[in-house]
Amino acid sequence: MTQDELFAKIAARFPKIEKAAVPVKDYLTVRLPSKDDLLPLAQWLKTSGFDYLDMLTGTDFLGPVDMKGYIRQQNFNVFLPDGATPEIESAATPGYAYKPVLDLLWSFVSIKERARVIVKLEVPRDAARVPSLAGLFKTADWQERETFDLLGVTYEGHPNLVKILTPDFLQGHPLRKDYAHVKDRFDD
Amino acid sequence: MTNAAELKTDQLFINMGPQHPSTHGVLRIGLTIEGEVIVKAVPDIGYLHRGTEKLAEVRNYHHCVVLTDRWDYVSAMPNNLVFCLSAEKLMGLKVPPRADALRVISCELNRIASHLLFFGTYGIDTGAFTPFLYAFREREMVLDLFEMLCGARLTYNYIRLGGVMVDASPEWRTRLAEFVEYFKPRLDEYDTLLSFNPIFMARTQGVGRLSAEEAVNWGLSGPNLRASGVDYDVRKHDPYCGYENYEFEVPLGAEGSCWDRYFCRVREMRQSVRIIEQALAKLPEGPTMATGVAKIPKPAAGEAYAHVEASRGELGIYLVSDGGISPFRMHVRAPSFVNLAMLEKTLVGMKVADVIAVLGSIDIVLGEVDR
Repeated sequence: MTQDELFAKIAARFPKIEKAAVPVKDYLTVRLPSKDDLLPLAQWLKTSGFDYLDMLTGTDFLGPVDMKGYIRQQNFNVFLPDGATPEIESAATPGYAYKPVLDLLWSFVSIKERARVIVKLEVPRDAARVPSLAGLFKTADWQERETFDLLGVTYEGHPNLVKILTPDFLQGHPLRKDYAHVKDRFDD
Repeated sequence: MTNAAELKTDQLFINMGPQHPSTHGVLRIGLTIEGEVIVKAVPDIGYLHRGTEKLAEVRNYHHCVVLTDRWDYVSAMPNNLVFCLSAEKLMGLKVPPRADALRVISCELNRIASHLLFFGTYGIDTGAFTPFLYAFREREMVLDLFEMLCGARLTYNYIRLGGVMVDASPEWRTRLAEFVEYFKPRLDEYDTLLSFNPIFMARTQGVGRLSAEEAVNWGLSGPNLRASGVDYDVRKHDPYCGYENYEFEVPLGAEGSCWDRYFCRVREMRQSVRIIEQALAKLPEGPTMATGVAKIPKPAAGEAYAHVEASRGELGIYLVSDGGISPFRMHVRAPSFVNLAMLEKTLVGMKVADVIAVLGSIDIVLGEVDR
């Protein structure tokens, strides 16, 4: 199935869904108009062959990453003298349109058709709430917990939405661009 | 059962790990048992979380390849490869055919090394110590080959953006051909040692069964998924590095039990040997590194996803670039992490002695689970 055929099939059922402006290279990428469309689409995909939820994650598009989020000085070149400017500092790329949103992503695979469709949805950073897919795909359970832990997305209806990778005492969500590290007893 | 009332047991909480030889790393499982039967299992992970996704955001693309080695440290070649494939997609780099063939050889060789480690340690998990010694005898040879190829035994950093670090020397190719000839009869030896050993079969057959639908729903990949009879192999479904030009089969299991998962891996080693032989026979001439790979690459803004069939399943990397020198976002679809999730539900109702048999058969590497 080519990307266009696949998109035509999806568009026939969900006319509001559009192709994403920035696609994930080589794969069909569609954008959801609102979070209410996620569950119907996932349900429909599951019954029409796309029953393998490969991956779910998100990206924080706030801007360049805050260096306060790192424990150590990012001075990679050990041969540089003390006090020299680090080789790599996080910096904004001129001309790139950063925006305060979390761009969430789900990737569905049809093993039989050998096809993949990537679904994207933008949510505001301060109200990142989307419905959970854990009821449809068991694999969503841990992956949603991971995204919750690292990006602070609340998956509504998840049976056990608690931290999974970071330690209990860690405050905040490390993969958010404005994350700042709070000193703890394991530093240095 | 006249004494049933007096033999009644209460629920008991058992803490397994994080320091436990059978968890193959720092995995903790909180088990609630009633007599011998597990009523609740709660895996606790994150002890090895190093935040590589966050670290990648302030490193340039060449530096990130070094980070990838640290996920699945017993099979690091596919990790290198998947990051390079994804970054090359972003940059629009074309890899020369000789580099592609060397990538295939090194990844398949690494698959053999990784499956040998599984073969050996799974024997220990289920009570057979001897196969471990045989497995490590051969694994040592593979690691020696890697040392000769790129100077490292576990964290290779051999596959680089645009190609591979160095060309394989003629001596190395001779040594590899010798190893392949030596290794083929060993696979039959393994079958007599462990695969068809009646005690081992009684211990693993029919244990931890998973149907095809369930396996797909859990998002399993690699030998774990194929053991349930689902034919999904990234090398066939979305070929990369010219895998479509090699002849090999995808071994499938029947019922998705521990033994099926084990035997899928043993048969996969045979297929890897086949691929290596073909790749060696028709190794194309030419450069091993693409021209025009920047010292500090700045790919145009965009998004890319690449995935490979790593030793433990589908390893994918989702990269977002904002046009800067570091990835704006890197997400790892780690097969061990996704595969391990099924433990929470499948252990319920099993005997406590089967925990190790099931956990061992999933073949996780904690470095990849926690990243």
